[in-house]
This record gives sequence, C-alpha cells and structure tokens, in this order.
Amino acid sequence: MSEIINIEHLKKSFGQNEVLKDIDLMVDKGEVVTIIGSSGSGKSTLLRCINLLEKPNGGKIYYKDENVLAPNYNLPKYRTHLGMVFQQFNLFNNMNVLENCMTGQVTVLKKSREEAKKTALENLKKVGMERFIDAKPSQLSGGQKQRVAIGRALSMDPDVMLFDEPTSALDPEMVGEVLKTMKDLAHTGLTMIIVTHEMAFAKDVSDRVIFMDKGVIAETGTAEDIFVHPKEERTRQFLQRILNVSEE
Amino acid sequence: MKKKVSILSLVLLLLACVPGLTNEVQAQGTEQKEFRVGMEAGYAPFNWTQNTDESGAVPIDGDKSYAGGYDVEIAKRIADKLGRKLVIVKTEWDGLPPALQSGKIDAIIAGMSPTEERKKQIDFTDVYYESNLVMVTKADSEYAKAKSLDDFSGAKVTAQLNTFHYTVINQIPGVKMQEAMDNFPAMRVALESGTIDGYVSERPEGVTAESVNPKLKMIEFTAENGFQTSPDDTAVAIGMRKGDPDVAAINEILAGISKDERLKIMDEAIENQPASEEDTGSPILKILNQNGMLFLRGTGMTMFLALAGTILGGLIGLLVGVYRTIPISDKKSKRIFQKLFGWLLNVYVEVFRGTPMIVQSAVIYYGTALLFGFDLNRTAAALFIVSINTGAYMSEIVRGGIFAVDTGQFEAAQAIGMTHGQTMRKVVVPQVLRNILPATGNEFVINIKDTSVLSIISVTELFFQGKSAAGANYMFFQTYFIICVIYFVLTFSVTRILRLVEKKLDGPQDYVPIAVEEE
Repeated sequence: MSEIINIEHLKKSFGQNEVLKDIDLMVDKGEVVTIIGSSGSGKSTLLRCINLLEKPNGGKIYYKDENVLAPNYNLPKYRTHLGMVFQQFNLFNNMNVLENCMTGQVTVLKKSREEAKKTALENLKKVGMERFIDAKPSQLSGGQKQRVAIGRALSMDPDVMLFDEPTSALDPEMVGEVLKTMKDLAHTGLTMIIVTHEMAFAKDVSDRVIFMDKGVIAETGTAEDIFVHPKEERTRQFLQRILNVSEE
Repeated sequence: MKKKVSILSLVLLLLACVPGLTNEVQAQGTEQKEFRVGMEAGYAPFNWTQNTDESGAVPIDGDKSYAGGYDVEIAKRIADKLGRKLVIVKTEWDGLPPALQSGKIDAIIAGMSPTEERKKQIDFTDVYYESNLVMVTKADSEYAKAKSLDDFSGAKVTAQLNTFHYTVINQIPGVKMQEAMDNFPAMRVALESGTIDGYVSERPEGVTAESVNPKLKMIEFTAENGFQTSPDDTAVAIGMRKGDPDVAAINEILAGISKDERLKIMDEAIENQPASEEDTGSPILKILNQNGMLFLRGTGMTMFLALAGTILGGLIGLLVGVYRTIPISDKKSKRIFQKLFGWLLNVYVEVFRGTPMIVQSAVIYYGTALLFGFDLNRTAAALFIVSINTGAYMSEIVRGGIFAVDTGQFEAAQAIGMTHGQTMRKVVVPQVLRNILPATGNEFVINIKDTSVLSIISVTELFFQGKSAAGANYMFFQTYFIICVIYFVLTFSVTRILRLVEKKLDGPQDYVPIAVEEE
C-alpha cells in the first residue's frame, strides 16, 4: 500500500451544525486530488481536519499508518509533513519573503540558517519569487503573496501539500500565475490535496476529483468521470451552475 | 504650627495602630547607632533643603542635598547628647507619622504641634519652640505703630486657610475679617496692593517677610496685648513613637537648651534660610540658581522611574498577555493550575488598575514595614510600584496587540509545525511589540507625570523637589511654573522621539524591491 493519508468515518460539527458526516478518503503517494463542491459543503473543513487545525468529533485519520488522533501523538512534527496554503495567504507580516520561508526550517526542523536559506531560495525560485526575498508581505500583490506562501510550505519539504481555495481571494488577473505554479508542482510528483473552484484547473491537473455536498462525499472519480460523465444528479447540477457562471 | 491632617495619613495611622504590628520594627530602630529624624525639609525657617553644607546643614539621607534650619540645629544637639549619628530623612508631611510608626524614622522634628489628635497616635516630647502670633502690615500704614490688638480695630485682616491663625482674628475688636488665603506669598501681595491691611502670622514668617520685603512690617505684641492662643497651636514638639524610652532623655536635653539659645538659633535660621538671600532680579532665575541642581536631580529620578518602570511594566504586561493566550491543557491537574494562576493574574490586573497609584505607594511602602518589618529602599519601592502598576495596564494593551495579529498567522504558524511558544516568540510577539508601541509611549508619558504621586513616600523626583523648593522660597507660582515647563519638555520630547522610532520601524511605505527593477 502506498497510501499516505487514510481517513475513516470522519465527523465534524460546529455546535448543532454537522459539517462533515462520515467521510472516508484515502490519498496515495504522488496523487493529485481536488475537492470541489458548493460553499458550505464541508470541503475546507475536511482539509483543515487533515492537519488538525480543526479537531474532528469522530473518526480516524492515519498518516502512513500512524494514528494521528492518538492522545500523545506528536502534532507539531506531523504538521511539518503537511504543507498548507491558505485562501488568505497568511504570511508572517513581521518577516520578509526569505525569512517567511526560513523560520519554520530553523525553528521547527532545527536546520542551520545556511541550510534553511539554501532550501528557501530553491523553493522561491520554483514559485518565481526569488527576486523578492527582501520584500515585506505588505509590499507584495496578492498573487505574489500566495506564491511566497506556497514557497514557505514547500520549504518544510512536506510529503503532502494542502491547498485551501488558494485563488479565491485573488484578483482575476493574478489567478493565472498561482495556478501555473501549482500546475508545475503537480507535475513534479508531489502529493497534493486541493480545494478549489477553478474547474478547468481541476480538470487539468487532477488524478482524482471528489465532489462534496452537504458534508458527504457525493461522487468521486477521475477528472473525466466527474466533469464529462457525472453519475449523480447533484454533481450535474453543481457543474451546470458553475460552468454557466464562468461562461457568462 | 501645621495642623492639617490629610485623610491618607489618618488611614495610615489607623493601620499603624493595629496592635502588635509595630513592636518588631521599633526595636530595630533603637539597636542601630543612628538617630533618624524625619522632616519635610521644605518648611523654612524650621527646615529646608539646600545644595551645600553651608551654615551647619546636614546631608539628607539618600540624596545629594542638605537640610538646614531650626529643626536641624535642635536635632544636631539631641543626637550629639544621645551619642548617636544624626540622619535626616526627608519625608512628605503626610508621610511623617506613618514613617515614625513603621520605624523608618525615630523622631519627627518638623515644626509639628502636639495637638490632642496627634497625641492619640504618637508621643510628644516637651516643647522645643514656642512661637507667638504677630501681625504683618505695611510699613507706611497707620497700623505700623500698633502696640495692641485694639489698634487694629477697623482693619481688614486675613490669615492662611485652615490654620488657627484665621480663627484668632475675631479676637481683634471691630476687625473687618477677610476671606482666608491659600499661602503667604498671596497675602504679601494682597497687603502690598492694599486689599488687606494686615495678616496674622507667626514670628519666624514675620521676620522673613520683613527682611524679604522692606515695605512690610511685623508687629509684635506683649503677652497681655496680643492674641490668646493655646499651646496646642503655638508650641512645637518632637514626635516620638508611643512608649519610646528615649522621650525622657530628649526632654532632659531640650531642658538644657535655654530660651535665649532657642531664640538665637531661630534668628540664625531665619537669616540663613534660602528665601532671605539678596534679591537678584528675576525670581525665575533666582529659583533656578538656588535649585537648579535639585531640579536636575529630580528630573533624573523622574525619568529613571518612568523609563525603567515603563520597560519593566511592559515586560510584565507582555508576560501576562502571552500567558493568557496559552491554550487550556488537556491534563486535569495542569488545567486547575492554569485556571488558578490565570485567576490570580486577573486579580492583579484588576486591583492595580482599579486603585490609585498614590494609595498603592503608601500601602506598599509603609505596609511592608508595618506588617513584615521589612524596610524597602525608597527608590526600589518606587520602581516596583511604577512597574507593577504599568504592568497591569500593559497586560490589557498587549491583549489588544495580540488580537490585532490576525488568526490566519497563528494558523499558518501551527500549520508549519510551530508550537504555541514558538508561534508567540517568532511570529506574534514581534508584531505585538510594534502594535503596542504607541500605547506604550503613552504609558511612558503618563508615567513621567504620574511618578509625581510618589512624593507621598518621599521619593526625590521632580515634583517632590519642586515642592521642597517652593516650601523654602515661598515663590509657589514661579517654582511650580518651572516644574511645569520641565515636565512638558520631557513629555513633549519623549512623544516626538517615539514618533520617530515608529516611523523608522515601519520603513518606507512605497519601498520597491530592487530585484523588481532588474526585470
């Protein structure tokens, strides 16, 4: 078995509101999985449950056969294996671009500053931000910030990258640069779980597409299965709504 | 003599009277070979502060100034006969009785009258000076030749507010009693301008007035022609702790100082007091000449307390603020401890934000001495008080500063595997420091001004120095005006400097990375 993340019967509710109802999901090494669905379907919550930014109310999560929810599990260490990219970038405002990519390596991975700098520069080059190492986040555009955020996550040398609607907060003309960066990453064989509204992108990069609706996985399959031959009525309706909007 | 008793000193006296608390401290004082005497050093001619040891002045404990005056001369004689080393402790008037009670001083020799009220709290020796009431009038007026109270019939007469001077005015037959006035300089001006014909005063003040301003004349009365007064008011005695065995010995020493000698000492004191120096033009320049170094040292102390207090308070605030962000533990025992400690922190913040610093100072400084027999160094106590007071405010400011860092950055830090502590240290606190800088600057400015309340525990900061200067030279307006200007210069410069620092920290808004231009 080469699965890296294995989720069983995952449940999460906020008060009375049951956001995730019995989710099962397995992600293989090197697989690119996109999660689509209308807002409120629970896709972001699912992603945030994987690195335990949200604590699940039930179910199991395994990382390489380790029970992540076990009482004394080393959570910070686990998180270093997962790179997270947020909708709102969440760069550290008190650091410049280079420091943003170095701080985790030095503080958490205990790497030397030279080593950390080398890795950071490599990854900033990958995302095309190596010329901005001295800039403060406040001096960057949204697209630039998001590429730095990807570089920061990559600098921790993660096994899995989690993307939580990485282009939703961007101006339209900046969406492209970020998607291109992600596409390049997908081709390097990195395991990626992506929550997105960019259907064309999802179709293009996904090994597997998951459609979520009202807290459950409604349909799962290859990009062609979902986008060309959706089996479920609600999948069809969702795609119709999305595609109509984007055609307008 | 001085009769005013502030509420605060009453409270402290009550505290001092809790039975059984004071004994310990008392013993401490007598074991030492020192004779610690408390006085304001700002009530000329009885006691005043000067910069040199001229005319027999004695160094003030923990300060670079000297105390001179009638009280100091008497204290010297007593210490000499007792075979103990005289130490003058400059103490705020209201702080004298509690300082005595708590054993910080052994005696009050400060022109204090042995009133019935005071006798309940402390013992008094025999009288060491008895003043008589006089009238001060204009040298060229019809009253200048007055011999008895009757001669002032029809005159407009006033006296100082809240003193017994004012209550005796109606002993003058047919007098036109005027509103009481705040201080002697005001009465002198009123007299010169003709608003009043005379004011009631005591001999030392009268002599001073005459010598400072030749247009004024002091009228002395013989015993039968003058004001009828009670010894409660006119007598001055030495305050001692209840039951102090030294009282008898001191009485003996006082008895050995003849009436003539006392008068001589007083006349010398009047001659030597700072206010009676030759007039050299501008009063402001004169005050600066006399007290420049005093004010400078006061400014130094004020800035030290404000700066160190703000920094230490900032650290306390930061620790408290960050502690409050620590997530509640899963372990039960740890959780209980966390809750308890958090609750204690809340108590600390609420208590110190909810009570005036002046009261805190008195309670902490005198309280530690009374309850635990622990004699805090005054400057250390002051720094402690300013720091924890500032810390209470700063912890709330830090809380706001932490809120201002968006939760996304907390999550991002967690997502790359940082622990709570690492997140705080690397990401949050650096931003909090920037966020709270304006509020911290504000606290600093407030501290520069508010350290003035520390004069209650006789810390020689700027306001205290101003007060003793004014007490010696009687030029209240001019002295406080100088103090006011110094405070403003301090706060204004600090505000400007902080503004510059903020600008520097933020860097240019429109900074374009050089790397971009290469493209």
